[in-house]
Amino acid sequence: MVWANAAVLGLGGALLTLPIILHFLMQPKPKILEFPALRFIQKRQFVNRSRARLKHIVLLLLRCLLILLMAAAMAGPSVASRDYGQWVIFAAICVSLLVVALALATVLLASEKRNGLLVGVLSALLIGHVGYAAWAGIQLMNAESTQLLGDSAAPVTALILVDTSCRMGYQRENKTNLDRAKEIGRWLIEQFPADSEACVLSTRDDPPIFSVDLGAARNRIDNLEVEFDSVSIPKRMADGLKLLDEALHERREIYVVSDLSAKSWESNDSSLLNELAAKPEYSAFVIDVGQQSTTNTAILPLEINRDSLVPGGELEIRTGVARSGSAVQRSVRFRLERPDSSRPVLRDQKLLVPDKFHERLKTYEMKEGASESLTFKFSQPLEFGTHHGTVEIVGDDSFEHDNKRFFTIEVRKPRQVLILHGRDVTPDNLSEAMLDEGESSLFVPTIAQQSNMPSNLEKFDAVFLLDPDAGISNTTWTALKKYVETGRGLGIFLGAGAATGSSPHPSFQSDAAQILLTGQLKRQWRRPDSDLFLSPSNLVHPVFAPFRETETAVPWNQFPVFMHWSIESDDRWDTLPTQTVLRFGNGKPAIMERQIGDGRILVMTTPITESAQMQGREPWNALFTGLHWPAWLLVRQMSEYLVQSHANRVNLKIGDIARLKNDIRNYPVDYRMFTPRTTQTPAKVGSVDGAVKYRFTSSPGHYRLKGNLNEPVLRGFSVNIPDGQTDLTRIDPADMDAVFGADRYQLATDKNQIQRQQGTTRRGQEFYPVLVLMVLVVLAVEYLMSNRFYS
Amino acid sequence: MAVEKYLKPEVVNQIKRLDLRAQFVVKGFLHGLHSSPFHGFSVEFSEHRKYVAGDDPKDIDWQVYAKTDKYYVKKFEAETNISGYLVMDLSRSMGYTYRQELSKFDYAICLAASLAYLMISQQDPVGLITFNEKIRASLPPRSKRTQLGNLLTLLSKLKPEGQTDFLQSVNQIAAMLKTRSLVMIFSDLLCDDEATMNALYRLRHGGHDVILFHILDEAEVDFPFRGACRLTDPETGDEVKIDADGFRNEYIEEVKKFRKKLALECSNSGIDYVPIDTSMQFDKALIEYLHSRRARF
Repeated sequence: MVWANAAVLGLGGALLTLPIILHFLMQPKPKILEFPALRFIQKRQFVNRSRARLKHIVLLLLRCLLILLMAAAMAGPSVASRDYGQWVIFAAICVSLLVVALALATVLLASEKRNGLLVGVLSALLIGHVGYAAWAGIQLMNAESTQLLGDSAAPVTALILVDTSCRMGYQRENKTNLDRAKEIGRWLIEQFPADSEACVLSTRDDPPIFSVDLGAARNRIDNLEVEFDSVSIPKRMADGLKLLDEALHERREIYVVSDLSAKSWESNDSSLLNELAAKPEYSAFVIDVGQQSTTNTAILPLEINRDSLVPGGELEIRTGVARSGSAVQRSVRFRLERPDSSRPVLRDQKLLVPDKFHERLKTYEMKEGASESLTFKFSQPLEFGTHHGTVEIVGDDSFEHDNKRFFTIEVRKPRQVLILHGRDVTPDNLSEAMLDEGESSLFVPTIAQQSNMPSNLEKFDAVFLLDPDAGISNTTWTALKKYVETGRGLGIFLGAGAATGSSPHPSFQSDAAQILLTGQLKRQWRRPDSDLFLSPSNLVHPVFAPFRETETAVPWNQFPVFMHWSIESDDRWDTLPTQTVLRFGNGKPAIMERQIGDGRILVMTTPITESAQMQGREPWNALFTGLHWPAWLLVRQMSEYLVQSHANRVNLKIGDIARLKNDIRNYPVDYRMFTPRTTQTPAKVGSVDGAVKYRFTSSPGHYRLKGNLNEPVLRGFSVNIPDGQTDLTRIDPADMDAVFGADRYQLATDKNQIQRQQGTTRRGQEFYPVLVLMVLVVLAVEYLMSNRFYS
Repeated sequence: MAVEKYLKPEVVNQIKRLDLRAQFVVKGFLHGLHSSPFHGFSVEFSEHRKYVAGDDPKDIDWQVYAKTDKYYVKKFEAETNISGYLVMDLSRSMGYTYRQELSKFDYAICLAASLAYLMISQQDPVGLITFNEKIRASLPPRSKRTQLGNLLTLLSKLKPEGQTDFLQSVNQIAAMLKTRSLVMIFSDLLCDDEATMNALYRLRHGGHDVILFHILDEAEVDFPFRGACRLTDPETGDEVKIDADGFRNEYIEEVKKFRKKLALECSNSGIDYVPIDTSMQFDKALIEYLHSRRARF
């Protein structure tokens, strides 16, 4: 039990002697009188004296109790636990009941003439007490213990979980929500009793540990920053709960300081709920530092038509602007840096980046809750190399982290591809798919008959074999294998040329051929009834990227396959990574992929060179008949995949690992990395296994690599905050209950509320009101009884 | 104390028209309102009646026998007066007064004086006996006018003192009284209950008409004390420390009980019991009693 003013208790103790002294020492001297009729008194003297003593003792007790209660009330007692407090109140009611019962008994027994008013008042008080005590007793019996008993001054083991998601960067009154959270955190630490231990957790995914002392915990809070790769609060709480199991002190408290944005509380796991339910002694507080309604203008995630362009290619960026709060006019600016070989550079501890831009500006009248889509197109010729740009809202905003989106594009030379075809095979379908963008096309195809295969394949980024025929030699297969091993792509589209009669030609059965064909060519499957189609089951492979949005709307059943080859895997080549990319409706593989070295091979078991009318034979399929856009798109994607146009992902999300191909024949071995954290000293990043990798993509912005190969080489990539991370929508209270359990946490919005709820939970119960009530009851009983006794 | 103090003119005026009837009627002539059962001094012939067995032969009128040859007896009615004794308790408790005005003893003297005047005015002899542990002073009954002065002079010289031995004193008185008398006892009866009643029974058994004036001080009836008190018995010196506030009701109850018991015992044994306290005007109390007594006879 804690006493707010313990000194008053001493004063109360001293005052307690007053009625006792008055009773025993300062009793008035009796009047000495002569009285002849003493015999009548003597008869009842014993009874009278006993009654008088009883009355005096009861009055003395009442007066002592009155002083004690007043002193106790002024001393401000409280107990550690609400449950314990309820028990104390129950005990106090019982004591009060006893006092009233004793008073009533005294009035009934010790008074020869009963006072109706006094008896009535005392009886009413007694009935009231009995009723209240019974009710309180039943409540206590039914209540489940939720709090620890003990002294509130006892040390606490506290887990302070501060939401450091980027949403905490929302500003109001020149303070971010994180600033408010840190303020609360510091204040909480000040409130902890001495020798308490605290663990300060952020929503960054790092291992939870207890701070050495409260000072260290305060420093930890001071150093908290907005994290862009934060994890959800329930997950962090689960981590923290494990740590709390090892806590030093019995009293354990969890404080979660958050803006209550729904994204922070996402959880599909009920383990936290179960864990908290299993630990009823843990007190949980949620402190809301967020706002019920927010005002914000946001740039939606960017959609870029391609990460790499060829000179003359058009850059198209689609995005949107969304508004929450009142209507406002906002300008959105598109910026593309003009290349500057002298930058980035760190000068006087400042990062200097290119400061000249290609700019576009669009202004919108944003209505409340409205969103506008916008597209920026940029078709000016760009130099070869890496170009960084932004789409941003002009002017300040309450929430800055969704005001700016970053992008990077690479401008490269077109890909050189070699298309080899068998006799009587027309490669038009493939070449048209490659050259649809005209001069800005990504591909520069070289078409040749299979028999005229150039000896120097190294200059090509990919080779395509269209319906190869029996003339292909083992030497060719071996040359192609070596070619692929250097990191290039090979596409093989099997067809009628591989057959001799109904069986595969022996030139397709050699080991070298089987390695490239992903297995042994077995037989031709015939389905002349037009009931066999390409049947993609999942679209995770990059070649299906354009189909993902219209997955169910692709009319594959309009393009039947009448014949295809079957390939049986060979155990000898199990070490080579092989997968089935696409199957036919009968479950047989349509496209197989195999990786050899750094290169990749795609094998399609039906040709793409068939037309509706074939000379001397039936067509193998009708993929390129009618509106053949699905097959066209598939072939195009296969081509891009094989030339590895996606090898460099330059537009990443927070937490992604950046990987840039780095052929040391064309690029430097070492770079210095300039991150968006402008104060960070550029780190040295080296090329490993033909690529530069960087994993610390924790901040949004441009990541610039600067190397030197006779002249400065600038590369880089952009990192953006993942979709939804900037969504400020608040969590529904029911969802919060689902995370914690309905009555398992207490919600506070400011220090006063925290103090009050902390007081209710940690201190349990204050007894001032109860004591004052008891003082009134005892005072009334004492007044009535003394009036009665001395009337 | 002046004699006049006990006989106020207004009191005398009030009581002179009243008579004091003895409890039982005696044979003989009525003188005043009293009759005497005894032959005695200055008898007067009343009538003749036939002799019946059992009559005293000496009452036979031989002259009438000579004339009529029949036995007649003379009937006489005595002209004797009833002797009254004023028996005064002279113990120390009788000197108690709460208001410091009229002690119980003074009150008793007032009553006694009034009754003595009444009796003397009726030609009845009245005497006085005072007692505490034993008989202290006495005055034989006389019906002379001077008797009243003698009585009051004697009483005014007496001072209440000592303890009460009611039984022994009354036994002594009973032994002293040769003829049936009217015994008027004035006492607070603050002694043993049983002994008191036994003494009264003895007196009553002697054939005396007894009137018991039970005189208490008003404080002994109302118990007006407040707060803590240490009460001392003036006779025994006993002390009791009490909380007077909490005792009052019980005390009054106890006194009532005592008086009720006395009244019942007296009623059963033919004694007139007159409970009086000093807050009552004694003349009114006396007149009231006499009225009630006349109504009974």
